[in-house]
Amino acid sequence: MHNHHFQDPTAPHYMFQDDPYLTPRTSAEFKLYSLSQESGRMAANHIVNKNPKFFQKDFAEPHIPCLMPETMELCIEEVSEAALLERIMLRKVKAAVDMYDQLLQAGTTVSPDASNDLLDLICLYGDRDPVQDDKPEAEDVAQEVQEEGRRRKGRLRRASDLVRIVWRENNNAERIFNLLPERDTRAYSALIRGMVKYGAHVKAFNTYTDMLNNRLTADVHTFNALISAAPEVRERYTEKWDLIVDLLNQMNEQKVKPNLLTFNALLKALRRCGSLARAQSLHTLSEMKAMGIAPSLASFDHVLGIFYKAASPSQGQTDILQEVMTEVAGRTFVAQDPDDVNFFSSAMRICLDTKDIEAAYKVHDLLRVGENWRMLGDSFQQSIYYGRMFNLLCMMEHIDVVLKWYKELIPSLYYPNPQGMRDLLQALDTDNRLDMIPQIWKDIRRMGHDNKSDLVDELLSLMARDKHSPEIQESFAVCALDVKSLYEQGQGARMALEWTATAMTNITSVLLAAQKKQQAWDMLKLFKTKNRVPSEELMEEFLASIKSSNDPQHAMELVQISASFCLPSTPKLAERVLQAFELSEEQKTILSELEVSTEVSE
Amino acid sequence: MYRILLLSVCPVRNRALHVYIREACLRSSKCDIVSLPICRATNGGVFNAFGTSSVIHCEKKEGPLPPKEENSALKDGEQKVAVKMVGEKVIELQDYVKMVAEQSEQRVGVKMEGVTESVKIEEIPVKMDSEKMEEIQTKTALLPIPEVKLEDVKESEEMKEIMLASKTEEVKQKLEVTMAVVKEGETIVEIQVKTEEVVDVKKEGDKVVEEQMLEVNKEEQQTEAPPKDEIQPVKSGKESLLDLLGAMKVEVTNKRKFKALKVQRTSETAARPMPAAMESTTSMFQEATGMADVPAPAPSETLSPELVAAVSAAAATLPSQSQAESELLKKLRQHEAIGEAQKNGDVNNIGVIIADMKVGKKPNGRQNARPANQIRFDEDGRGYTHDRGITAELDGGLRRRRSLFSGKRLNIFTPSTEPEADTDIAVPTLWDMELANQVALSTNQMPRNGFEEMIQWTKEGRLWQYPINNEAGLEAEAQVPFHEHVFLEKHLEEGFPRQGPVRHFMELVVSGLAKNPYYTIQQKREHIAWFRDYFQQKEEVLKEAEVYLN
Repeated sequence: MHNHHFQDPTAPHYMFQDDPYLTPRTSAEFKLYSLSQESGRMAANHIVNKNPKFFQKDFAEPHIPCLMPETMELCIEEVSEAALLERIMLRKVKAAVDMYDQLLQAGTTVSPDASNDLLDLICLYGDRDPVQDDKPEAEDVAQEVQEEGRRRKGRLRRASDLVRIVWRENNNAERIFNLLPERDTRAYSALIRGMVKYGAHVKAFNTYTDMLNNRLTADVHTFNALISAAPEVRERYTEKWDLIVDLLNQMNEQKVKPNLLTFNALLKALRRCGSLARAQSLHTLSEMKAMGIAPSLASFDHVLGIFYKAASPSQGQTDILQEVMTEVAGRTFVAQDPDDVNFFSSAMRICLDTKDIEAAYKVHDLLRVGENWRMLGDSFQQSIYYGRMFNLLCMMEHIDVVLKWYKELIPSLYYPNPQGMRDLLQALDTDNRLDMIPQIWKDIRRMGHDNKSDLVDELLSLMARDKHSPEIQESFAVCALDVKSLYEQGQGARMALEWTATAMTNITSVLLAAQKKQQAWDMLKLFKTKNRVPSEELMEEFLASIKSSNDPQHAMELVQISASFCLPSTPKLAERVLQAFELSEEQKTILSELEVSTEVSE
Repeated sequence: MYRILLLSVCPVRNRALHVYIREACLRSSKCDIVSLPICRATNGGVFNAFGTSSVIHCEKKEGPLPPKEENSALKDGEQKVAVKMVGEKVIELQDYVKMVAEQSEQRVGVKMEGVTESVKIEEIPVKMDSEKMEEIQTKTALLPIPEVKLEDVKESEEMKEIMLASKTEEVKQKLEVTMAVVKEGETIVEIQVKTEEVVDVKKEGDKVVEEQMLEVNKEEQQTEAPPKDEIQPVKSGKESLLDLLGAMKVEVTNKRKFKALKVQRTSETAARPMPAAMESTTSMFQEATGMADVPAPAPSETLSPELVAAVSAAAATLPSQSQAESELLKKLRQHEAIGEAQKNGDVNNIGVIIADMKVGKKPNGRQNARPANQIRFDEDGRGYTHDRGITAELDGGLRRRRSLFSGKRLNIFTPSTEPEADTDIAVPTLWDMELANQVALSTNQMPRNGFEEMIQWTKEGRLWQYPINNEAGLEAEAQVPFHEHVFLEKHLEEGFPRQGPVRHFMELVVSGLAKNPYYTIQQKREHIAWFRDYFQQKEEVLKEAEVYLN
């Protein structure tokens, strides 16, 4: 039922429905409000966990564990193995290492399981306490939420997180590993995985050789880590691939069954193997089929990445996307690999690059199957996906279809950026639906893009460019006045738009075309106050408009204004006014003076 | 004249295309695409017919041309250009065929087949409609190589003489005879090819005439007697052909080139029926142009005695009589055999030839030739893919993979059929938990509607599970049978007096506990144990009061 639930395209996301005030209108607001909800939850959790003694009353029957505070403080103070295990469970890396050292100093032997757990912990976190911004004692749930919050902020932050932690020489993991009385596969595995995770690729391979020398066999996780590290330790494509094949052969010799993550790591490594990758990736897929392992979305994502390199000159194999899409069409996917969520946005990128609208529809259909929407990734990836899709639609589809999608996507799922709105304007222009512009302008205002001067300029020039029917001109004029008011009142909190000569010219000519003489006249005066110079074409338009209403007084004024701007066309203008209008003698003399004076001044 | 020539060439081409397309349809739908460029080539060829420069351009475009083309390219006169145009078109056709069939090791062979085929295509409508001489003349230019190959030096000497004769005044007096000679395509070609040392042959006019007569006879013998009305166009074209011959320039051909060609071809003929096909086209042409002047007499061996007599008479005029005679007879038998083969098999020939053609794909190569690919980044920053033209579609059709999984595999792992014994079902390590956490986080979406939110809450345990069960949360108690709850007297067996007020009190407690739905069995036991402790502590007091009876 939840899947077939009618999705209201005009409604904001469900998470904002409890407070209409918090309905986001822009992507920035969306980010802010959704994060604020997250952070509110996180803060509440933090308070509960910090002060468990105030939240002991268990009023729920039956008991609801997730509502109860979780123990996060260390309870066991004495030096014992139980204390060590507790510290490991609470993921306190430093405290656990200290406890281990104390245990060794006291001469107690630590059980192999406990020391392996400790090694896992250290390697997993790279010998650091898990990163927690301001609350070093935040417990598990809060930490997850924090991580999620961090992810939502975008890519940069994540990348910097990865860069920060590196595998240091002789860190606690290596030290404790050397202290172990007997090193089994699990200890080696933890060490290798930690090394790969934190960038010590060569060292990982050395450790692996060491492990083989000790007549141990690796487990599948070790091989997965090594395969993903293989492209880092070789220079040439063929060498990389040879190393990977070598690892796979060793897996087979050691009777290690590969799993999905093995093949995903293999495909991911192949993305960095250049020209070899195309054929080998297909062989890998066949191997997966032979092994009875169904590829996940991440596998397909890697294959697509191999076949559609950005900026590669030849896109000969355009049918790979089609083949992948026929393969996955109608299937429901469950996340099995953290990379699964990249599939949709990268598939849409390929559709955009190849301008393949049919494939884009297929990708979108796949997204609607079952729970596949969960694989779209975080809001950042979602906006990329929808942005690409909308861009493609604007480029390839008829405007009616574009507007259908616009209505369906825009307020509820996607907040377009200024570029997206400009694409839409161009699509309107292409299909001669400029009459939609006032509506679009409302949306632009709502989405907070009305302070992007290039977007506003483009909108105005589209409105001013052609002649339309009177009704449309009327609506354009309203829209133009709206834009004008934006320029005037913008001085407040938001960045005010700077008047440009083209914007003013466009607004004025839209007003003129809509027969709004008074407002147009106001605009003309505004030129003066803002120290902008109107174009000669605009003066011509003005003259034509005045001529149609036969108003010699205004014509006089126009010529005078033109003279005050020192426009070179003033004499011509004066001459035409002299011919076209019934003027009094006095006016005639003024005009002829103007005619002469400007000529002289030239 | 030229116009007639060209105009007549066009319908021939079109008919040839019809034939070709019909044949192509038989093969597969993809061949239709092949025919498109051919149509285009036809049009282009007709438009360019008057422009020698474009012809030359076409030639340059070609890689290795057959030697005939080189020869004719050097000729003056618009007729030759027109003739060449047909040749060009054939080569264009051949080029498109080549485009499809581009397996490098077979390149030469395919090209040859292409030539053969296209020649044949042109022959068929000619024969059917008995077109004009010009067209026939046109076709003859296309049949150089097989004949050349088969000549030996001796014969070519004779042919030189023929060539000379065709240029002299005497030949003009015997127009019919000359025409017959001229109309035989191979003769013309041979003339063109073998005229290297013209100078020394000029004097032997009589012999030449005899040779020509002989040639005519040969042709008559081999071929069926054509309908009489065919002579009419032949005669009308006489003058022009004579002019044409007169305009022919003697040119030097490199003999070594032919020898090289011969070698190449003999190596190929072993594998293919192609030379036969080419021969047969020649004789088919001859069939169309043959004249009924001389009746065909009875054979000697396979040839008629009159023919043999004619041959020996002709040979007598030559210096080395016996040798010449045997050569000529050999040649005639060859032609006869070919004529038979032609009679039997000419209907199926195109089909056979097309069936013989190898349509292959060239591994890469063409990809870089697409000009549109170079415009990858344009001002909108995303670039266009190449528009899918005819050739692209062709490529796509040929290189289409069946499915994503149908290719070879790495062949490293062997899929084990027996279910894996899950040895490491043990405690999940921190790594596993971290991975699960990552996957969960990556797909963690905010609920889209109330239903999803409730689903999530239900999973977290905040909402009742459906269907509603009022024993939810009492799963541990569900294991305990009801009599444990109800019959609690057995707990009074130890630690309590057998009778008396304490016992009585405890029975009341037990019956109260038996009706209490809220306590677990453990709590009930603890409750009873508390009383046990209490009464044991108070044992002294109770004994003093004599109520504790054991």
